[in-house]
Amino acid sequence: MTVLAGIGFSAPWLLLGLLALPVLWFLLRAVPPAPRLQQFPAVTLLVGLTDEESQSDRTPWWLLLLRLLLVAAAIIGLAGPVLNPNTADTGRGPLVIILDASWAGAGHWPRLQNQIETDLQAAHRAERPVAVLSLTKPDALQFQSADTWQQQIPGLRPQAWRANTTHLSQARSALENVETDFDTLWYSDGLASEAEAIILPLLETRGTVEVIEPPTPIMALNPVTFQDGTLHITAQRNHAGLEQTVALQAMGLDPSGTLRALSTTPLTFDAEAKTAEIDLSLPAELSARVQWYGLQGVRSAGAVALSDDSLRRREVALISAQSGNEGLALLSPLHYLRNALIESTDLLEGPLADLLPAQPDAIVLADIAHLPATQETALIAWVEEGGTLLRFAGPRLAASDTARTEEHPLMPVRLRAGGRSVGGAMSWGAPKTLAPFPDRSPFYGLDIPAEVEVRSQVVAQPEPRLAERVIAELSDGTPLVTRKSLGAGQVILFHVTANAEWSSLPLSGLFVEMLERLAISSGVGQPDARDLEGTTWAPVQVLDGFGTLGEAGRLAGVAGTALLTDPLSEALQPGLYQSEGRAIARNVLTIDETLTPPIWPANVTLRGFASAAETVLSGYFLALALVLLAADIIATLGVSGLLRLSRTAAAGVIFITAIGLPHSVDAQDANPQTSAAAEVTLAYVETGDAELDRLSEAGLHGLSLTLSFRTSVEPANPQGVNLDQDELAFYPLLYWPVSPNQATPSAAAYEKLNAYLQSGGMILFDTRDADISTAGANSPATRRLQQLARPLDIPPLEPVPQDHVLTRTFYLLQDFPGRQRGAPVWVEAAPNDAEQIEGLPFRNLNDGVSPVVIGGNDWASAWAMSDFGTPLYPVGRGFAGERQREMAFRFGVNLVMHILTGNYKSDQVHVPALLDRLGQ
Amino acid sequence: MNDAPASALALRHAAEEDASAFPPLLVEAQELAGSVMLGEHGRRRSGTGDDFWQYRPLQQGDSRRMIDHRMSAKGDQQFVREREWQIAQTIHVWSDLGASMRYASQAAVPQKIDRARLLTLAASILMIRAGERVGLTGGLLPPRRGNIQVLRLAEMLSQTEPQDYTPPEHRALIPHARALFVSDFLGPFDELQIALGKAADRGVRGVLLQVLDPSEVDFDFQGRTRFQSINGGIEHETLKASALRTRYIQRLEERRKFMDELCQLAGWRLHVHRTDHSAQSALMWLFETLQRSAA
Repeated sequence: MTVLAGIGFSAPWLLLGLLALPVLWFLLRAVPPAPRLQQFPAVTLLVGLTDEESQSDRTPWWLLLLRLLLVAAAIIGLAGPVLNPNTADTGRGPLVIILDASWAGAGHWPRLQNQIETDLQAAHRAERPVAVLSLTKPDALQFQSADTWQQQIPGLRPQAWRANTTHLSQARSALENVETDFDTLWYSDGLASEAEAIILPLLETRGTVEVIEPPTPIMALNPVTFQDGTLHITAQRNHAGLEQTVALQAMGLDPSGTLRALSTTPLTFDAEAKTAEIDLSLPAELSARVQWYGLQGVRSAGAVALSDDSLRRREVALISAQSGNEGLALLSPLHYLRNALIESTDLLEGPLADLLPAQPDAIVLADIAHLPATQETALIAWVEEGGTLLRFAGPRLAASDTARTEEHPLMPVRLRAGGRSVGGAMSWGAPKTLAPFPDRSPFYGLDIPAEVEVRSQVVAQPEPRLAERVIAELSDGTPLVTRKSLGAGQVILFHVTANAEWSSLPLSGLFVEMLERLAISSGVGQPDARDLEGTTWAPVQVLDGFGTLGEAGRLAGVAGTALLTDPLSEALQPGLYQSEGRAIARNVLTIDETLTPPIWPANVTLRGFASAAETVLSGYFLALALVLLAADIIATLGVSGLLRLSRTAAAGVIFITAIGLPHSVDAQDANPQTSAAAEVTLAYVETGDAELDRLSEAGLHGLSLTLSFRTSVEPANPQGVNLDQDELAFYPLLYWPVSPNQATPSAAAYEKLNAYLQSGGMILFDTRDADISTAGANSPATRRLQQLARPLDIPPLEPVPQDHVLTRTFYLLQDFPGRQRGAPVWVEAAPNDAEQIEGLPFRNLNDGVSPVVIGGNDWASAWAMSDFGTPLYPVGRGFAGERQREMAFRFGVNLVMHILTGNYKSDQVHVPALLDRLGQ
Repeated sequence: MNDAPASALALRHAAEEDASAFPPLLVEAQELAGSVMLGEHGRRRSGTGDDFWQYRPLQQGDSRRMIDHRMSAKGDQQFVREREWQIAQTIHVWSDLGASMRYASQAAVPQKIDRARLLTLAASILMIRAGERVGLTGGLLPPRRGNIQVLRLAEMLSQTEPQDYTPPEHRALIPHARALFVSDFLGPFDELQIALGKAADRGVRGVLLQVLDPSEVDFDFQGRTRFQSINGGIEHETLKASALRTRYIQRLEERRKFMDELCQLAGWRLHVHRTDHSAQSALMWLFETLQRSAA
């Protein structure tokens, strides 16, 4: 590639063509534009006139310049210019591109893809075979031509984990399988890894290694911890040096259910610090909704710290039968529960009836045997919706007959009467200890302190299903904790009291751990491996490399011990894991993990990202040549005088402009509904019968003309309305001619029509058959009208009464003829209580506009006008017929006035004037 | 139209095509003529005619048969009833039907030939209504009166002639008749000179109506142009048409001056009509002038 003035050329020899331009100059100068042939009878007067000036036998200089530019642009375009050419000597032989492809690179992934593309272009020019190796997903190396890889670049994705030892050994064996020597281009993600130790020595033996460092510092969040009532958030970066502030966002669903930043806090790295810390205190309601904490503008899985149970405080309602008794604090059934839970949960105390509406996560009933029936029903409903009901036994429960003879919905097992005491003063034997937890128990894996002993308990009735409900038992096999599921929730019964009266369990740490396992409380801080021993966690949501939370799909479950400590990989992806109603987040960084930049040996070439990517300019130059060519055509036409007169040339210019500016042409599409909204527009229903539709349009056209001539209503051109597709709200009047073979509109269309009628629209139904039947009689069109109008929300109707406002909105009318006359016209019936007042000609009738007017007088035919304003259809005969047409127009005017002015003329204010006109 | 029809069928076709232009021309001409109110009747002096002019006392030399007894019986004096002088004049019309007239620079402007035919026919209709006899020059259609003559005129005017510039037809002029020549008068000038000379010799006075296209008056051409007559017989090429404008207009003016001088010598009148102006104004001028020259 030859570089001239910062622009490289792939075919520089073509530029020699530019030398031919001066020759072209002389050639073009010599050829004037062709003459225009003009017929001209007065040519006799011209004969003998010579040209005084001989200027235009040469092409004008500006046209010459235009043409030279055209040719020059074409030559340069074909010479393959490239802006910012990659002039680095790319060497020869196979090239291996290694990508760290981890979350750390996700933040600058698009730039990385551009950089890879640039390097692949260079490799393509040098015709080097290329293989791409992702360290987070190592595959066997495939050497292909660079342009093949170029097509696959958009498909490359960073993973949410970094390469671990397994990945690296796979990658190493893949590299070892390559037989030839190769050069290496390594896109580092900016973090130190074992790859430098495992792969780099191998690469250096096979060829040169060039490392490309990321352009921006890498930032990530450690898992958020909960300390002393505040959220403790730590962010890491891989390079210190500059003071830097990023915004920390707490993302979650707002009350309307949209995901947004619930809180945004600036987080500042000091100049010399690689760590920034912040204590965040969010209201409990807000922090309960947070799904994750993220760094604004950093698009990487590392910049996301998922929130889990350790950050969520559950609400637990504590209910006991006794009201507070100060003297007996230590004997209170709730005392130990309160102390066990207060650290990690929000406690609610009070009567059950008050607490249930708060929808707590868990309800603890300490020694309550009976509940009022209404509360019991509400409680059952609450459990079935996913609540956890934790019950403790006690003297009351032991003495009651609850769940004695049959299973109670809110008790996991049936109880024997009385319970039992062991190891007391009056009984044989020693207090019992706990048996190790079975492996299907949620408590599996917990250590049982030796000092825990049980002296009294309630005893479950032996039952076939008892065994599966026991989750903890005493050393002699009697159930200590039983559980059953109820709907989506569960009911758990501790067969001992919640205080230390019956056992020493509430005094031990085991009690807290058990509550934690039952998801009554959530552990403070991150659980450790011991807590999770024996559990299996199913991924619910996982993060991808860019930090987007997605469904886990069919990923396999993870053992509790592995969840927190194992390095991330395909099998253990960062995300949210669930088990037994508890949720734990596995984040990309672990607590206290810091980010360290890699240290490269001295013989490795380090390189940053290229500042600007290569841009191939050929297309631009050739496009310029094309534009110049178009300009040349116009200019040539102009010079030879053809442009001014020729309409085709003008059309051509418009055409060329239209090609150049397709958007501006699109934008000018007129929307009939926009104009309908801007002006009063009468509309008719398209019946599908073309003849009838034309008639309706002509009729409304005539009515619109009449309105414009006679009134201040000046409607736009009438519109046809397709009931299924068009919005009706813009039209004050819908003219609906009914023909017997009309299709029934869809249900959606009827909904639209009903909404239209309710919002003040009017439909004028016209059966157009008053000559053969009166409306209401049994003609085919009338029957069809009945079918069509049945789903419509039409009020009771009556024939237009003499004092209806329709008779006097503009003209004073007695009847409403169209092309036919005599058939009654039906409108909304007057209210029953409308009474004529003595001395007044009109009743005070309905307030609004009648939503429908139904008749059969074929008004459209009477109204129909051609474009010249001449009537299209004959009406009646002679003068009487014209009078009838005039009356039809007056009805139309009155109707539109009625729609537009409502009951205005119904106002008694007009009575004197109207009386005067009526001659009374 | 001007090509010789190759067969009987083509002849019929061409004839029908020609005839199809004929009724609109007639209608248009009638309409145009109808717009002119015949404001002046008769000759405003006594003479032979049907209409009453005046009563005058009997004078020496009047024959007794001339006494109007109804009037004279009212008194002692004897009166003679005079009638208005009415005499039919003869008007020869000639409209240029040559190729040079078949030209219109824009679609919005009618061809010169159409305007010329229209004005000729409309003027003829007016004259015929006024009782004059109208005919074509050259003996093609002898002057007659009556509505049937209008139809004949329209038929004759619907024809075309093939050559570029037709010389004015001056043959078969009835002495002391009046004449109307409508053309663009862009052909050879001496032909016009001869025609007017012959007419003047016979005592025929008349009117020249020069019908020009706007482009012929304004000459708004630009750029390199090759000008051609309609049949392509005469050509002139220029490299810069706009530079010719002033000299062209000068030549046009000169020609008009010559024509004016010629008219003054022969006792004719000249009027220039542009096809983009209304036909009615030209017709009014024609009517006025023909009336006056007849008086």
